Amino acid sequence: MSSASVAEEPLLSMRGITKRFPGVVALQDVQLSLHAGEVLALMGENGAGKSTLMKILGGVTRPDEGEITVAGKAVEFSNVRDAKAQGIALIHQELMLASNLDITSNIFLGNEQRSGSLLRPLDRRRMKAQAEALLARVGLELPVTTLVSRLTAGQQQMVEIAKALSANARILIMDEPTSSLGSGESEQLFKIIHQLRANGIGIIYISHRMGEVMELSDRITVLRDGRYVSDLLRADASHDKIVGLMVGRALSNQYFPQKRELAAPTTRLVVEELELPGAPGAVSFSARKGEILGFAGLIGAGRTELMQAIFGVTPAKAGRMLLSEVRYAPKTPREAIDRGVYLAPEDRKHHGLVLRMSVAENSSLPNVATYARFGWLDRKTERRVADAGVKRLRTKTPSIKQAVGNLSGGNQQKVVLAKWLAMQPQILILDEPTRGIDVGAKAEIYQHMSELAGEGITILMVSSDLEEIMGMSDRVVVMHERRITGVLEGSALTQLAVAGLMTGRAHDVDSMAVAS
Amino acid sequence: MRRELGMFSALVAMCFALWLSNSDFLGASNVINTTRQVSMLGIFAIGIAFVIITGGIDLSIGSMVGLTGVIIARLTSTSTGGLGYPLWIGIVTALVVACLFGLIQGLLITRLRLQPFIVTLGGMLLLRGVSQTVVEGGVISMGQSPLLSLASGGLLKLGRDPLIPYPFLIFLSVAALGGYVLHFTVLGRYIYAIGGSRDAAEYSGINVKKVETLTYVISAGSAGIAGICYAAYIGQMSQQVGVAYELYAIAAAVLGGCSLRGGEGTIFGIVIGSAIMRVIDNGINMFQYKYSDADGIRRIWRLDPNWNWIIVGAVILAAVILDQLVHIFQAARAVREAGARKAGIAASSSANAEAAKRAETHAG
Ligand SMILES: Nc1ncnc2c1ncn2[C@@H]1O[C@H](COP(=O)(O)OP(=O)(O)OP(=O)(O)O)[C@@H](O)[C@H]1O
Ligand SMILES: [Mg+2]
Repeated sequence: MSSASVAEEPLLSMRGITKRFPGVVALQDVQLSLHAGEVLALMGENGAGKSTLMKILGGVTRPDEGEITVAGKAVEFSNVRDAKAQGIALIHQELMLASNLDITSNIFLGNEQRSGSLLRPLDRRRMKAQAEALLARVGLELPVTTLVSRLTAGQQQMVEIAKALSANARILIMDEPTSSLGSGESEQLFKIIHQLRANGIGIIYISHRMGEVMELSDRITVLRDGRYVSDLLRADASHDKIVGLMVGRALSNQYFPQKRELAAPTTRLVVEELELPGAPGAVSFSARKGEILGFAGLIGAGRTELMQAIFGVTPAKAGRMLLSEVRYAPKTPREAIDRGVYLAPEDRKHHGLVLRMSVAENSSLPNVATYARFGWLDRKTERRVADAGVKRLRTKTPSIKQAVGNLSGGNQQKVVLAKWLAMQPQILILDEPTRGIDVGAKAEIYQHMSELAGEGITILMVSSDLEEIMGMSDRVVVMHERRITGVLEGSALTQLAVAGLMTGRAHDVDSMAVAS
Repeated sequence: MRRELGMFSALVAMCFALWLSNSDFLGASNVINTTRQVSMLGIFAIGIAFVIITGGIDLSIGSMVGLTGVIIARLTSTSTGGLGYPLWIGIVTALVVACLFGLIQGLLITRLRLQPFIVTLGGMLLLRGVSQTVVEGGVISMGQSPLLSLASGGLLKLGRDPLIPYPFLIFLSVAALGGYVLHFTVLGRYIYAIGGSRDAAEYSGINVKKVETLTYVISAGSAGIAGICYAAYIGQMSQQVGVAYELYAIAAAVLGGCSLRGGEGTIFGIVIGSAIMRVIDNGINMFQYKYSDADGIRRIWRLDPNWNWIIVGAVILAAVILDQLVHIFQAARAVREAGARKAGIAASSSANAEAAKRAETHAG
């Protein structure tokens, strides 16, 4: 598949691109080229400048210097419309849908089907029919009139993809499209990408998941610290080689820490017959002291909902929980935190961070009251804690006073994690902890999780990355359509068994230990 | 701080211009009177800022200012319409009513999830009606109430006027307390966090409903305090007192750097904003232009009082437009400067990479 049609003239070429933000040089003299019918993977650590480069190509931001040519013609974009006119569609790293509108309206937002001027009525029937076809193509089985606010992050991502497809672009940019997708949905996406490539569309693909990159790409462009490092053909690339170029130093391939032996298991959390609003049945499972309990499932399997119930965001309708053998029924996150149960949420933009506040202020938010004396803020401790978090996870930020909203996506995720890792919980719930995080930092986070578990903290880890589930979990709870379909451990814990239970397929009951 | 400093310069410039046109502007009696006005507005502008920073709005405080005065007049005045109770009973009752009403509004907004705009709009109309009922549509004079000296009196006499009027002292205390709470305490941090992202605050374990409710109590309570000052200042209460004051307070907060989206604003800014609002008002009276007409007769041109609202509105718009322009200009310059420093940064970042590499080899 590495037969990149090395046409005489590239479909797209960017040269000498430089972009500066106050205190940060995001891109410096960066180049990139893309041919028709080619999948180009753009790789680099968090904050390397990938998203910024793509935003420039999508007309969202303007470069300070540099030139862009599309099909041999020099172009200049002053807004998104200009880029669209050149046939460029951009799927952003962060979800950008209007949650108060339905799926159809979102797909055609800014591109409405109408006959004539802006005041003519919308051609709803045509838009609806097209939206249905697009949803079928991305494999989303939902009525097109569903409000986007009802969708999970993964489903929203599929809508974003459908939206980009509707533009019939000749250059399609995907900025970490799989970070909120499960493996099934990712497969669907890869199929679409293969189709598009066969149709001569040029695709730029950003991801921190090395497996995907190796599977999909024809060529790989690597950025480091806002500079162009090199171009590799997929045939010449290997995991270690790419990582080496990305971080500028050798990094061990083996980033999952050794699994710890659990001493005599003590039960920390018991969840019995918990009924969640709107869910078909009740769920039961238990978690032990010092274990990492993975939660696998497709998007929409109800894992995030379950975690929100345990954290008191949306209290359960019925059922019972015991925390260290004491009844536990949180009605607000505050009550959960008071009992030592913390959640690092999946949706960093809405639930995880106050984007306008600084790195330091965000890091201290859940904890600041504990080191305040008589309500007086202790900024020194706050700075110390934030500095430690930034160092530990190598967050790339000009200073801890920088507004979190200005950081790159992966670096924002690091702040979310640092915020909760700074505390000493009984139970730490991590919902998609390494979403959008680069390989180097992932290793640090895994190491840290392992240490926390070693100290006796129970970690509930929701992840759509099967490799991560397999590499980190002591036991795995698998969910399908808001039910627990199995709990696997020991020799029964195989990738195949997890994948089978995830899709709700029939499975070998003997190889599975059922929840207590 | 950018907005605050910009507005501070604007205030100074405005005062200077007014002084040039009419030297009485900086005369003792005008300064003291304007200070009193700024102080009384500032007290409840600081209160409403708490609400605005969480991303809410409180339209009821103008009516609350009026109602507190009316309650005091009704309960304590010895003239017709007054019940003649001791002054302290009137003051305590008024403040309790204010805080209670703020609490009710806060609970409606947070527990029933009603929109602050509509709840406090209802509150504004309702309280106005209550005032009207209490004064029975008329006017209650405060008579010779000792309360009057609250507005007229002060520390350090300067001729007949006090150099430091009591309302100014109250304002300073409210500002100091507000600044302390907002900028130095955990509660203040929570208020900003809620304004920045309600969900993220909730997920961080902040009791969002409690904090938000509290801001409505603070807002109403500060209106109560301001109401006492106005009662003392005006000396007779009718349902007209405090009409549209909430808009003055909101304008002061926004001029001072609060964002109606929440999450932004400082006490210093509110103080400046309040001063600007009152100096505009005062300036419209004081502004004059001396000239000699064709016959050589000296004349003085003054602003037509009918233009009052036009000028207030135009100044507010001009201020926010100018501020935004400065902001855009500064952002562009910061980027240019970053460009000028790029060589230095690039060098240091590659040095960092080197250091990291060395650390890595040591660890391994
Ligand atoms: N609006 C902004 N203001 C200030 N700095 C910014 C802004 N946008 C991006 N940056 C900085 O530019 C650099 C590059 O960011 P970018 O989002 O392009 O990284 P990225 O390669 O996409 O990283 P990730 O893998 O984490 O998504 C980062 O250091 C980031 O902090
Ligand atoms: Mg990015």
